Amino acid sequence: MPVRVVETSAPTQISGAHSGQISPPFCTLLSVGQAFSGTQNVSSLQKDEAWRVNVRIQGCDLEHGYLCGTMEALNVPMADTPVVTFWEGEIVDGKNYSFFTGKWEASSEDDIRHWTKFPSFSPFLCQVEVDGGKSLDLSNYPYIFMRWKEQYFVNVGTDCGLTIAGFYYVCFSCTDGSISGFYYDPNSSPFQKLELKSTNEGRSGFSFSSYELQ
Amino acid sequence: MDLLNRLASLDPDIKLKALREVKNQIIGNRTKKLAFLKLGAIPAVASLLAAAIAEADSQLKNGEVTIADKNSNYYNNNTFIQSAAVLGSFACGFDDGVRAVLDAGALPYLIQLLSNPDEKVVDAGARSLRMIYQSKLTPKYEILQDKKMEFLLSLLNSESENVTGLGASIITHSCETSLEQKSLSDAGVLKKLLGLLEGSFSQRDASLESLAALFRNNPEVVSKFVGQESGSALSSIIGLTKDRYPRTRLLACMCLIVIRNSSPFYLQDVGIKTKLLYLSLELLDDPGEVGDEAPFVFSSLIMEKEDLQKLAFEANALEKFSNHLQNSRLHPKRLQGILLALADICSKLESCRYRFLSLEVWNMVTNALTHDSAGVRTAACICIRSVTRSIKNLCAGYFMNEVLVIPLVQLLNDSLVSVQVAALGAISNILVDFTTGKSTFVQCGALKQLIQLSKSMESTVRLNALWALKNMVFLADDRCKEGIFMELTASLLASLICDHNPFVQEQALALVRNLIDGCISSVEYVFTENGIILDAVRKQLESTSKAEIGIQGMYVLGNVASGNEFHKEAVMQQLLPQVDNENQSFIIKFLQSNDSRLRTAAVWAIVNLTFPSSPGAFRRLIKLRSLGIVPEIRNMVNDPCLDVKLRVRTVLGQAVIFGDGLT
Repeated sequence: MPVRVVETSAPTQISGAHSGQISPPFCTLLSVGQAFSGTQNVSSLQKDEAWRVNVRIQGCDLEHGYLCGTMEALNVPMADTPVVTFWEGEIVDGKNYSFFTGKWEASSEDDIRHWTKFPSFSPFLCQVEVDGGKSLDLSNYPYIFMRWKEQYFVNVGTDCGLTIAGFYYVCFSCTDGSISGFYYDPNSSPFQKLELKSTNEGRSGFSFSSYELQ
Repeated sequence: MDLLNRLASLDPDIKLKALREVKNQIIGNRTKKLAFLKLGAIPAVASLLAAAIAEADSQLKNGEVTIADKNSNYYNNNTFIQSAAVLGSFACGFDDGVRAVLDAGALPYLIQLLSNPDEKVVDAGARSLRMIYQSKLTPKYEILQDKKMEFLLSLLNSESENVTGLGASIITHSCETSLEQKSLSDAGVLKKLLGLLEGSFSQRDASLESLAALFRNNPEVVSKFVGQESGSALSSIIGLTKDRYPRTRLLACMCLIVIRNSSPFYLQDVGIKTKLLYLSLELLDDPGEVGDEAPFVFSSLIMEKEDLQKLAFEANALEKFSNHLQNSRLHPKRLQGILLALADICSKLESCRYRFLSLEVWNMVTNALTHDSAGVRTAACICIRSVTRSIKNLCAGYFMNEVLVIPLVQLLNDSLVSVQVAALGAISNILVDFTTGKSTFVQCGALKQLIQLSKSMESTVRLNALWALKNMVFLADDRCKEGIFMELTASLLASLICDHNPFVQEQALALVRNLIDGCISSVEYVFTENGIILDAVRKQLESTSKAEIGIQGMYVLGNVASGNEFHKEAVMQQLLPQVDNENQSFIIKFLQSNDSRLRTAAVWAIVNLTFPSSPGAFRRLIKLRSLGIVPEIRNMVNDPCLDVKLRVRTVLGQAVIFGDGLT
């Protein structure tokens, strides 16, 4: 979800995927087509504020630790319509990506400061401090850690007064499909919290669709 | 025409002169070949050859040789040589010519020439046969049949360069099975071919090609070859990658790639990989046939290998192929090869697709969709299919534009199934569109064509048409879904679910699964026409042994079960054993499957049936317990698959809500 421009933002980078063999965590609740809704707290010293947010998973390539989708911010004060952005995610799987971001102006200290906000991260802290968690086997852990980086605005121009310079530290619960996240951008308010829940779009249960690329 | 009359002349001098004239006119001239072919020159020349052989045979039988016989011998030998040259020339690189030579029955006559005492005749026969054996149209030489191996070995042992070359060409043409490879290897052919690598350039080339045929997917033969000459055999081939002749370099490169693709023990290090990659790229600059074939050799190196695709990316292969693509006068074979090479580079890595799209040669690819050559059209579709795997660009709706979609849709009417299937592959990807593009696709009439193709007699066409429709229905809006369903109809969907081809069944089920996702009212689609779709789903789930069909079918039931009470009860009905002698629901076998994806899909259906906020959940839970389904789920509480385990716990957690009587 975009946040207000505070200062001139750096150009966004496109995340690259590295080759490698992995045994990725897989959860049907995080598969393509799944939808989530909740809020992002964008409070500043001046006022308390939260935007409603919808997320949809659109692509998933576990072999490359890749996930992508759209994020829709519903009640952005300065926008006439909901603002939709496209984001790409890096799944921390110990092979393609570690807990250390190594880019986007995030130092390993920034990384640890954010990851430790998730209670489910605590068992890994010691090891992550040593090697970023590269040696950890996360394939059977009921939480999936990710970084989501918005890449472009889908329905508004870049002159909309919003920035997508930062990125999210994300923790997904495989048990109930809930998502917690913290937005990180050195030029924005720290620790803006994202909280999303799996939605069943008016159904009494869970529905799943899929596509396959040839 | 006059020339053909002269071929039929009774005067041997006139006949020979006419043969020479035909030969000189057609060499390297496709237009002339075609013109003479249409005039019936090939059967005429084949008859001349047959008559000359018959005459020579009758002289041999008579024993005595007169002066007249000597004259006739002179004419016969020259007729052999010239007619063999004419027939070989017709067959060289010209499929219609090969077909006509074969139809004229010339092959056995040419083989007979190999037993002629005159070396020149043998040479001419061998040269001609080599041309014929370069074509795929030529019937397979059955290496394992009586005496055939013996004859082949006699060719390889000949002193004549053309005859040994013919032996190698026959192996290249006809050695396909591992048994044939092994038999040739056991008969000492590897050693013979290794010896030919030391011969003339023509022998080297023929040997390299036939070695590749012997090695392909046969690690045992590769190991046996590598062990030859105290282990120096491989170095002989590696040495030829520096040969002065580009064709020899290309064939050495191809042979080494076959070795590394066939055996995990040889040529796997980065050094040789890089060398082969750069060599195949460098050969692309050859203006002739070598350059035309180089992209295919390059593709065989990087196909399905992400590490090599990355290496190709770093070697600027995309730029190199793209630069060649900008040449508008490319030979169709080269154009086809370049498009396929680009497809292979972009097949796995997003970074490659991103770079390729930035090179601004996309319009060259879309132009190739309307090329005269079916091979080029197919290759263009495959290239587009590979590049459109970019989820990021699909999400941006980048590919859903008329320049790309209209020519692709037109290819759905192509006369060749292979082109139709390739076009459907690209369309399937483009239809995973998250913008408003799907309705654009419907508006251009393409939906009707897809639906028409889903009724094709060809199962690959049905399969791919359904695949495209499945992707189209994914997250489509209600209006789009309704339009698709109205055209498809419930009865067609039901019959496709029961198609005799299991891959078609799977795609049809996946289509229904997507159709009924989203807005809850879309669940109603499976209840139209008296629930014909739901009946078909149950029928397949009861009978299938294929996990993929079980998975898609269970997600259909799961999606229906996420609806209202009526929907959930309908799914309950499907789970009841339908056959009198059957006392177990099909879902039990899915819960016990070794495939965790199938177990997951099955448990999700139960999660939905027992979803706590629905009024009939308690009653259904009791029923599921009596059917043995809940006890089965209880056994799965420590399932090795995390996803299954968590869903099982969801079911048990929901059961707990209803209290003791339920467990």
